[in-house]
Amino acid sequence: MIVGSWVCLLAPLAGALLITLAGTHISRSTAAWISTGSVFVGFAGALVAFIQVAGESAEERSHLSTAYTWLGIGQFEVPMQILVDPVSLVMMMIITGVGGLIVWYSVGYMKGEDEERRYFAYMAFFVFSMLMLVMGGNLLLLLVGWGLVGLASYLLIGFYHDRPEAIAAAKKAFIMNAIGDAAMALGFFLLISKTGTLSYSENFEIASSGQLPTSTMNLIALGLLVGAIAKSAQLPLHTWLPDAMEGPTPVSALIHAATMVTAGVYLIVRTHEIFEAAPNVQHLAAIIGGVTIIVAGVIALVQWDIKRVIAYSTMSQIGYMFLAAGIGSYGYAMFHLFTHAFFKALLFLAAGVIIHHLAGEQDVRKMGGLKSVMPYTHAVFLIGALALAGIPPLSGFWSKDGIISAALADGGALGFTLVALGLVGALLTGAYTFRLYYLVFHGEPSDLVLEHAGGHGAGHAHGAESAAGHDEHGHGEGPFSMLIPVGVLAVFSTVAGFLVIPGLWEPFLHWIDSVAEPLVIATVAQDYMTSAIAVLLAGTGIWLARSAFREGEDLVPQGRLRTILEHKLYFDELYDALFSRPSQLAANLLREKVEEPIIQDSLGEIGDRVREAGSGTARLQTGLLRSYALAIAVSVVILVVVFMAVR
Amino acid sequence: MGPGTTWYIAVAAILFGIGTIGVILRRSPLIVLLSLEIMLNSSNLALVGFSRHFGTVDGQIFAICVMAVAAAEVVLGLGLIVAFTRRNMPLDVDAAMELRG
Repeated sequence: MIVGSWVCLLAPLAGALLITLAGTHISRSTAAWISTGSVFVGFAGALVAFIQVAGESAEERSHLSTAYTWLGIGQFEVPMQILVDPVSLVMMMIITGVGGLIVWYSVGYMKGEDEERRYFAYMAFFVFSMLMLVMGGNLLLLLVGWGLVGLASYLLIGFYHDRPEAIAAAKKAFIMNAIGDAAMALGFFLLISKTGTLSYSENFEIASSGQLPTSTMNLIALGLLVGAIAKSAQLPLHTWLPDAMEGPTPVSALIHAATMVTAGVYLIVRTHEIFEAAPNVQHLAAIIGGVTIIVAGVIALVQWDIKRVIAYSTMSQIGYMFLAAGIGSYGYAMFHLFTHAFFKALLFLAAGVIIHHLAGEQDVRKMGGLKSVMPYTHAVFLIGALALAGIPPLSGFWSKDGIISAALADGGALGFTLVALGLVGALLTGAYTFRLYYLVFHGEPSDLVLEHAGGHGAGHAHGAESAAGHDEHGHGEGPFSMLIPVGVLAVFSTVAGFLVIPGLWEPFLHWIDSVAEPLVIATVAQDYMTSAIAVLLAGTGIWLARSAFREGEDLVPQGRLRTILEHKLYFDELYDALFSRPSQLAANLLREKVEEPIIQDSLGEIGDRVREAGSGTARLQTGLLRSYALAIAVSVVILVVVFMAVR
Repeated sequence: MGPGTTWYIAVAAILFGIGTIGVILRRSPLIVLLSLEIMLNSSNLALVGFSRHFGTVDGQIFAICVMAVAAAEVVLGLGLIVAFTRRNMPLDVDAAMELRG
């Protein structure tokens, strides 16, 4: 199990290094297969570890394996170690399993793209970083992984580095994440300064023993929460995620839907002892999650870019996970993370098939009627959409409704508010998902769709994400390397939910419980009651979307509300006015008033004076040998006289 | 016994002065070299004089070193004079003033 885990961690790193070092000695497709293969090797390692750990009793499932001392400062040592326990195993299997499928999909999607090798090296590097994050056996290694995934995300968002929007989006994501990283690092520093150890178990013991004052615990938990919010694109540090859709679609699926953005949820579950020692901050996490569900849901209602709709939906779904983690229902937080990884990756990849087919077009207004042209894609997209909307028996139903019922079991003003937010979220999810579905697949085929429908040869390859994959003839809708992973994800989106059937069969929850004991458990009656209401609301949302589409209208009518939503509630404008423009003004002011007159001019002045002094003394250099000799002689005489006088 | 140390030092000082004046006033490089030799040898005389005065051989050893240096210096100096003539320059140290500032 330990061997399997190390293989899981190191295989993607080896893949990334191999592609980087081999450079142009290997062909593009070799690089793609090395990347895919290394991630699947990692998945095999994770699977072996999982089977072995599953055979152990629930109390003995946590294993810490130390390879060597990474840093040593006197008595203080930071070991290079991995933690293999039920939570990290779930994450490992999601990362390498879904990650492997997505990298495989990229083989078809990125074919013919410039710099494919760089892309695949980055993808393998990302998988390694994410594994480092979830497997790191102490706080510092968690922080290392946290930073590395931010870097990988930056590199992949900015993959199309000739597009200014992609570069801007990459920078935005990096800066937003840096805010979170800094807050999280400060939280850890405070914790370490109080406890003097990096180890998870020792820190959690001290945190839950109540030795530290609540104010300190609040500050530590707040630092971690800000880190989690930034990484998981929750309010108010969410503005980077929609822009991050500038990256290639598989990147959006892997990093900005299935794995990296859920790292915040993982962090809360992993450090739940710290959050439990600071209940106010934990409730804040739940409230932020609840508000994000609504805000992201309503913004998704008016977006026209297929990827942005799914991106806002990701924010909204992570809001559910935060809500669950914030009220202490860790099992359901992880379960929704697990099912969401499948159906959201599925939606993104299906969207990628469409974008690939339409040669880079992402605007849903130019799509329509794709149902008859792309029946396979239509089927898998519909599965993903139904799973996202939480329609039984698909996976989203089991996980999302569990979260809402946990909030109901929590009770009190907070609990009921969260239930309300969750239920409204269910309505919104149904509405925006099926607005997208109807716009893309139903109605009359648009000109663009007709243009790409019949002729499937070359000649259509234009646009930034060129659709040059057509030479790998698989299916009319795209190459097999794209369609197979999508199909596998569709299967898992359908069946993954059966790991938790409330009251009957809950192996997933018990699996997580051995690491993070839940604070609230809903009764079976609460479960089925909220499920009924949530499904009803989701159905209403779908019906609203359908009837609006039938009448040829959009869900949100023109008007002030729509304008506000189209500006994404003015978050970007607000940050621009609050931070960006004042700092630009200050920078310009400093340049004009300080740098140019004081620093630059004074340096020029010093140079001028030195040059003048130089040309003055240069006149002493006559070139006459005899005058030098005279100068030396006179000087010696003077020195002798001086020495004699002084003596 | 012969003359005392004072006399040796006096002769050395006079020779050094003559040499210095020669270097400063004369323009022919040959004469300048000769004057330099006079200065070096005056210091040799002073060294040997003091050596005898104190009854040690240190000064004499230094004098031998100075002779070796003087020989090397003459080689360079004469080489310079040859270079002067090769470039058809007048034998005048004041003519070599390309390095003036």
